Amino acid sequence: MDETVVFISMFNLESQKHRSIMYRRIRSFFDERGYLEIFTPTLSPTLIPESTIQNFRTRFLNEFVAERDFYLIPSPEIFMKEVLASGSPSVYQISSCFRNSEQLGRVHNPEFTMLEYYTLGFTDRDSIALTRELITSLLFDFSPSCLKRDFTVMSVRDAVQEYAGCDIDELQDVHDLIAEARRLGQEPADDESWDDVFNRIFITYVEPSLPQDGIVVLTDYPYQIECLASKQKDRPYRNRWEMYIGGMEVANCYEEETSCSRTAEYYRNEAVRLTEERRGTSLPVPAVSKDFPSLRIPASSGVAIGLDRLLMCLTGKKDIKDVLLFPFEDLLHVNY
Amino acid sequence: MIKAGQIDKGTALLIKGQPFICIEREFVNPGKGSAFVRLKLKSPSTGQVLSETMKSQDNAEDITVEDRDLQYLYNDGTNFAFMNVETFEQIEVPMASFPDYQYFMKEGETYRATFWEDQILDILIPAKIVFTVAEAEEAVKGDTVQGATKYVTTETGLRVRVPIFIKQGEKIRVNTETKEYLERVNK
Repeated sequence: MDETVVFISMFNLESQKHRSIMYRRIRSFFDERGYLEIFTPTLSPTLIPESTIQNFRTRFLNEFVAERDFYLIPSPEIFMKEVLASGSPSVYQISSCFRNSEQLGRVHNPEFTMLEYYTLGFTDRDSIALTRELITSLLFDFSPSCLKRDFTVMSVRDAVQEYAGCDIDELQDVHDLIAEARRLGQEPADDESWDDVFNRIFITYVEPSLPQDGIVVLTDYPYQIECLASKQKDRPYRNRWEMYIGGMEVANCYEEETSCSRTAEYYRNEAVRLTEERRGTSLPVPAVSKDFPSLRIPASSGVAIGLDRLLMCLTGKKDIKDVLLFPFEDLLHVNY
Repeated sequence: MIKAGQIDKGTALLIKGQPFICIEREFVNPGKGSAFVRLKLKSPSTGQVLSETMKSQDNAEDITVEDRDLQYLYNDGTNFAFMNVETFEQIEVPMASFPDYQYFMKEGETYRATFWEDQILDILIPAKIVFTVAEAEEAVKGDTVQGATKYVTTETGLRVRVPIFIKQGEKIRVNTETKEYLERVNK
């Protein structure tokens, strides 16, 4: 394409050019490293139970087959892990994902694009180095210079110590954590769970204080926040990290749980929580896959990156609408 | 009682027995965590701003408020004095609770105020107000991008950047949120 083309349009076509270049670079980055690009469905009859994610539900109708509910995937994880368990090489995918009921605004669009890559034999730490190389390969000449600097890697424990002034190693008992939250000025209920009290502290004191001008990777998340990242031996943490760019959450990584029994335990707990929390509300309770916990997931590390947010960072945009041709908020106001 | 997730900008709440008005509301979903709301709440009596984080499912005590029309009389440097246009009763409000509001208070004008029992929680400033230019400064030179402009001061002491043709004694309409000049008002 002629680089000097000037777009005069109501659409932000310039951002599409950057998006297209970014996708091409992502594909060549992983292709050169021997990953297989896969294409899995965005409509699924079951999901992995995640009580904190709201879903879009739709209905399959057919004259000859029983009708049933399908869900727009909140991430392609359920299918990608099935491919991994079947004996595939390391895989990656760029796919549309859907999350319902989230705040609309500067950094959210209910339909968004996710890059997920799973690397066989990798720890979550190995994925930090890989992600660093990936982001370096995606930089434009005009990308903000703070993206060219090294990542700041810090543990969640150190971040909480730095910005909230308390040591979560010493606050493993929920009563101690509640007392600390109250000392800080928060008002958790007496029966609040450890992870909820922790999140109160985290989003009030830690997240807003993270450096605003570079890439920060927070590692070693408390094990009490249940997810499919493996637990560390002898320490109350999981092998999980989250990447923030300019204070915005952009990526999440697990060293994947490989034990079927622990995956099944997560499934049971999360499915109960999900059903309880949504009882009496209009929120859909997605069906959960019965087979998923018995998948033999190989030792691997998976990273999910929100590509719309990453594109915002790479091109210095402050609003997700600036990287989308048809932002959801505009669709919301279309007349019919 | 309302759920924290239903609190919006302008919602009046009772926190530890004190009324607060929500001035900012943001939903936050920490990775793999429950939904929270981050609130900025302002106390109308002290001007104090609280940052509160609540789970969207938490209960909050909301209070029923009522709007009444007040005529602005004067300020004595510490308090604004208003008169209730229905009861003719005079009410004083500490200026510290409403910083910068003195620039938008015109004597004799009527303002809508939000009350909880007998306490003023909020005073509504109209989006646009017409002011008289009390003082006009020399034009700012060299600004060719936005056209030639200068500063004027209104009868309430608000400094506004205006086009150079605006003279002392003229009336101008101002956007009260951005404090920007909108247009000259011809009588």
